[in-house]
Amino acid sequence: MKLDSKVPEGPLEEKWSEYKKNMKLVAPNNRRKYEVIIVGTGLAGGAAAASLAEMGYKVKSFCIQDSARRAHSIAAQGGINAAKNYPNDGDSIYRLFYDTIKGGDYRAREANVYRLAEVSNNIIDQAVAQGVPFAREYSGLLANRSFGGAQVSRTFYARGQTGQQLLLGAYQAMMRQVQEGGIEYYTRHEMLDVVMIDGQARGIVTRDLVSGEIKSFEADAVILATGGYGNVFYLSTNAKNSNATAAWRAHKKGALFANPCYVQVHPTCIPVSGDYQSKLTLMSESLRNDGRVWVPRKKGDDRHPNDIPEEERYYYLEERYPSFGNLVPRDVASRNAKMVCDDGLGVGETGLAVYLDFRDAIKRDGRDTISAKYGNLFDMYANITGENPYERPMRIYPAVHYTMGGLWVDYNLMTNIPGLFSAGEANFSDHGANRLGASALMQGLSDGYFVLPATIGNYLADVKPGTRYGTDHEEFKKAEAEAQAEIDKLLNIKGKRTIIDFHRTLGKIVWDKIGISRNKEGLEEAIKEIQALREEFWTNVFVPGDKNNYNKYLEYAFRLADYFELAELMAKDALQREESCGCHLREEYQTEEGEALRNDKDFAYVAAWEYQGVNGELKTTMHKEDLNFEFVELKQRSYK
Amino acid sequence: MSKDFTVHLKYWRQNGPDAKGFFEERTLNTVNEHMSFLEMLDVLNEELQLEGKEPVEFDYDCREGICGCCNLVINGQAHGPKGGTPTCQVHMYNYKDGDTIVIEPPRAAAFPVIKDLVVDRSAFDRIIEAGGYVSVKTGSAEEANTHPVEKHKSDTAFDYATCIGCGACVAACPNASASLFTGAKIAHLGLMPQGEVERSKRVVAMVDQMEAEGFGDCSNFGECEAVCPQEISISAIAEMRKDYVKAVFS
Amino acid sequence: MPSFIKALKSQVGRKYVTGITGVFLMLFLIGHLGGNLTIFAGVHTFNNYTHHLENLGPLLYVIELVLAFLFIYHAVLGISIARNRKKARPESYNVYKTKGGPSHQTLASRSMAITGVIILVFLVIHIWQFKFGFGEELARYTHEGVDLPQLRARVIEAFTNPVSAFGYAFVLAMIILHLSHGFWSAFTSLGMKHGETSKKVQAAAYVFAIVLMLGFMFIPLYIFFTGGDGSLISY
Ligand SMILES: Cc1cc2nc3c(=O)[nH]c(=O)nc-3n(C[C@H](O)[C@H](O)[C@H](O)COP(=O)(O)OP(=O)(O)OC[C@H]3O[C@@H](n4cnc5c(N)ncnc54)[C@H](O)[C@@H]3O)c2cc1C
Ligand code: HEM
Ligand code: HEM
Ligand code: SF4
Ligand code: F3S
Ligand code: FES
Repeated sequence: MKLDSKVPEGPLEEKWSEYKKNMKLVAPNNRRKYEVIIVGTGLAGGAAAASLAEMGYKVKSFCIQDSARRAHSIAAQGGINAAKNYPNDGDSIYRLFYDTIKGGDYRAREANVYRLAEVSNNIIDQAVAQGVPFAREYSGLLANRSFGGAQVSRTFYARGQTGQQLLLGAYQAMMRQVQEGGIEYYTRHEMLDVVMIDGQARGIVTRDLVSGEIKSFEADAVILATGGYGNVFYLSTNAKNSNATAAWRAHKKGALFANPCYVQVHPTCIPVSGDYQSKLTLMSESLRNDGRVWVPRKKGDDRHPNDIPEEERYYYLEERYPSFGNLVPRDVASRNAKMVCDDGLGVGETGLAVYLDFRDAIKRDGRDTISAKYGNLFDMYANITGENPYERPMRIYPAVHYTMGGLWVDYNLMTNIPGLFSAGEANFSDHGANRLGASALMQGLSDGYFVLPATIGNYLADVKPGTRYGTDHEEFKKAEAEAQAEIDKLLNIKGKRTIIDFHRTLGKIVWDKIGISRNKEGLEEAIKEIQALREEFWTNVFVPGDKNNYNKYLEYAFRLADYFELAELMAKDALQREESCGCHLREEYQTEEGEALRNDKDFAYVAAWEYQGVNGELKTTMHKEDLNFEFVELKQRSYK
Repeated sequence: MSKDFTVHLKYWRQNGPDAKGFFEERTLNTVNEHMSFLEMLDVLNEELQLEGKEPVEFDYDCREGICGCCNLVINGQAHGPKGGTPTCQVHMYNYKDGDTIVIEPPRAAAFPVIKDLVVDRSAFDRIIEAGGYVSVKTGSAEEANTHPVEKHKSDTAFDYATCIGCGACVAACPNASASLFTGAKIAHLGLMPQGEVERSKRVVAMVDQMEAEGFGDCSNFGECEAVCPQEISISAIAEMRKDYVKAVFS
Repeated sequence: MPSFIKALKSQVGRKYVTGITGVFLMLFLIGHLGGNLTIFAGVHTFNNYTHHLENLGPLLYVIELVLAFLFIYHAVLGISIARNRKKARPESYNVYKTKGGPSHQTLASRSMAITGVIILVFLVIHIWQFKFGFGEELARYTHEGVDLPQLRARVIEAFTNPVSAFGYAFVLAMIILHLSHGFWSAFTSLGMKHGETSKKVQAAAYVFAIVLMLGFMFIPLYIFFTGGDGSLISY
């Protein structure tokens, strides 16, 4: 299979405007003859639904939660980047583009990233016009802060609730269209399959999560904006309903899945306290601006942290990375935390945590200053752990946070299946091997507000308006029957092990062997273990309740079934990538100082996988999209 | 390791909107102080499943206090004992060995029970649908810094905008009124210059919808503010009323 | 924009009206207390005052009509709000507890409808008793050439009866309760924002309710304990 990224010709800065100049359009009076299904109501899906409906397309919107407003984007805290250059510190579209490409360790498509930087400014305009209450200066103008090691202040924020405010903006725009009849709105509906007729995506099959009814919906194009798959790991910062099902089902129907091994781990999360733990909570990275990270030098030192004298504290980030210190990038900070814990230096009941200590900052700036900066984070920490971080260092540990991999899409955000698009975290597009802070929100909104409205029209212009096969078409019926059969199968196993138990076990394999750092041996083991566990799952899982009622455990089991396959694909992807890049550290490929060693000659490509069935083993073929860098020069990262 | 303790649970069971509900009781011996309240319910459900029984349904998603899914009435208080905290952020160190915990769904005619502790809150969506937005077309927005917004105004708007749509205000209000939820959106948008233009139209449409959904009147009990996980002030309700009068006389 | 009638029927409109009628009723109470206290200002002052009222002629009817309208409208709305409660929450909680903090859920606020109905029942009896003397014609007398109603005697006589005196005291306590929430609540209904002012208003509400009602309560209790013809009160 030849992967055509469909990137327009011409100079980088002009690609998107040229595209828009030349793209095919659908006349306004024709638009209402086209229906578009959008699965997902996060920043990507919500923004797309609002925009497309407003343009006149008939949109059908789906989400799992009881309201579009609850999509996982709501949880994003830190902020959103844009190249507005309000602080006049030398920012520009090019610089935002460059930082993002470099941050992704040169594993993203130049043209996509440039477009992202280009529309970033419009996103802010749009959000402000919707009434999003961004932080402001006393002058009444918008405030910015610097984020994630960037050298310019380009992050817009709304206290620690940026994702919430942006999502509510998109959600409200969406609800306006619901009222105006542009959007048919289906909540508590889970997509179980895409339906293709004559090689084109023509609709989806869903389960009504309240009544259990399996229903089909038809449209001229389908957009999957269903978020990331971090929950493969069982514990992650993702919301519990985040899942891979929609993307995975599309994958099974032929859509390629790109770079599944690129998973970002966030260094500052509240550590696990026991087996019952269901979810990890992120604390803003900004804490590393003032907190110092350390562990005791002595193994098993169980003294109160404040009793451990200075010389017995190992400030490992400051020692190993003198110029960046505690502010090294996410992947470096995470990897080092895991390393010291693996060496037995970890703290807390589980030994899986390091200290983040504000003692010196409080001594230097005073408690009030620290409290003004981080008060709400400290409160959150105190509420969850029952410990007072003003008096005792916080304990932190890395957690899975974001998945850069996802459905392969071209410049139009269309997968290799005609008519099937993917946006937001669900696609693989803009972050390469690592995502910079504050850029996922930017990508989701850029996809939804600005990119899809252009590219969908370009696609639909070639589709005959009013083409309808009806949901009685055999392809729909077949997909419905398959979904039903899988549900029946799950309910009939009536095994002995609970769903959560399986997921926890899977998560542990994935975290230990396909997590922060990987090696050949571990990955091969992981593949075997995943296969065995999958086998057991299909014979020994207990799925309670019945299918014609609200049944969250049934939903869960259905999603978990997909994780088993996806996990194996992640391992295979990690295995073939014999280099370290971005968040992907292969232990065999390190510099002498223990830093990631990229191999641009052999691995500057996107690995896009084609599904070929599961038979004890996941059968899959890799296709490569070579990444050509015409405008930036590839450099090795160094944080020493 | 911190020691496990025992709690006696009494939780609501209801098989569907029209089914008759009842309380089921069960003692849980493996509660740990670090568990969140929802994790405690996970543990309960694990036990039930291991006995081949049906787990208790409850709604959740983010488990970090922002999505607004989790809204249980715990010992008679929406979102449990602590102010400014949603259910998923309540931890078991708030309880002690031997405690009895009664768990009920948020009760309101406008929030019909779907199953057990899960209710249908789509009425909130319809209130927003009625007018809780700024009518701006995508792609045609003007430069963001064209209209400066006084910092304190924008900060106050933000306070109202933080509503997570959990419905605790309705659950706790003796009248099952949705005034805080509705008022918060009206106040947020009304305070921003971008939302100013549609102010009158918005308030009337949203208030009408709120009533049509079957929520009760507001008697200024202020319980909503006490249970609101975002601590949204009932000043929001005052803003709503002021806007309403302005709308009537304009 | 909504028609005025529709607005009056809306949740927000109804609440404004309870607030506004509530405020007028409070003003009436202040006036009524002022008038009533003249009972202690010499033998004829009170009777004179009622006589002046009588002289208002048709205007008095208008005032009485307005007053009746205020009471009835206020009561009807209050009761309807309380009844909607059941409709909005058909299945009540097994356990229910306030969270305290900023909550204004108190005995007073929760029993507005009950105290309200007590006031309403009281009013019927009260007016029947004092205005219509339980059907008995009001005695009149002439003082300094003016024909005066013997209303003061009627009041004093009434309060020498323990049922009457303590009945009033009880009702007045109920009114204290009603107003201790109602005063603050009316401001809120009329658009008061919350914060420091609101706390002051709540404090003022308690002071207002207590002062007003102590004033009222003084009348029946004083009269009763002084046996109706104590030193202050002489014919
Ligand atoms: C704690 C946290 C903090 C973050 N902070 C930041 C930050 O500060 N800045 C930043 O840029 N990024 C941040 N991120 C990342 C960013 O929030 C996400 O990547 C982004 O919001 C994803 O948006 P989305 O629209 O792609 O998907 P989501 O918001 O995840 O939405 C997915 C939608 O798809 C629906 N869905 C999924 N599967 C199905 C199905 N099968 N059927 C029907 N519907 C389905 C869901 O219901 C939901 O509506 C953060 C992430 C986390 C976890
Ligand atoms: C002297 C007589 C009365 C006075 C001074 C008075 C005063 C008030 C005031 C100031 C309020 C607050 C209004 C608001 O919150 O907006 C109020 C509320 C209320 N009143 Fe009265 N009232 C009187 C008589 C009555 C009567 C006779 C009834 C009913 C039978 C009644 C029932 C109520 C109720 C139920 C409320 C609460 C309304 C709500 O829940 O929103 N009141 N009253
Ligand atoms: C100790 C307390 C009170 C005394 C001594 C008292 C006395 C009287 C008297 C003597 C009258 C008859 C007036 C007339 O016929 O012109 C009257 C009327 C009335 N009183 Fe009171 N009263 C008291 C408390 C109250 C209270 C608490 C209320 C309200 C809740 C109230 C409401 C009224 C009303 C509505 C009328 C009828 C007014 C009219 O028709 O003109 N009174 N009162
Ligand atoms: S106002 Fe508060 S309690 Fe009500 S829905 Fe919003 S966040 Fe929840
Ligand atoms: S508790 Fe209810 S009565 Fe009003 S002030 Fe809050 S909505
Ligand atoms: S689960 Fe999201 S707020 Fe509690």
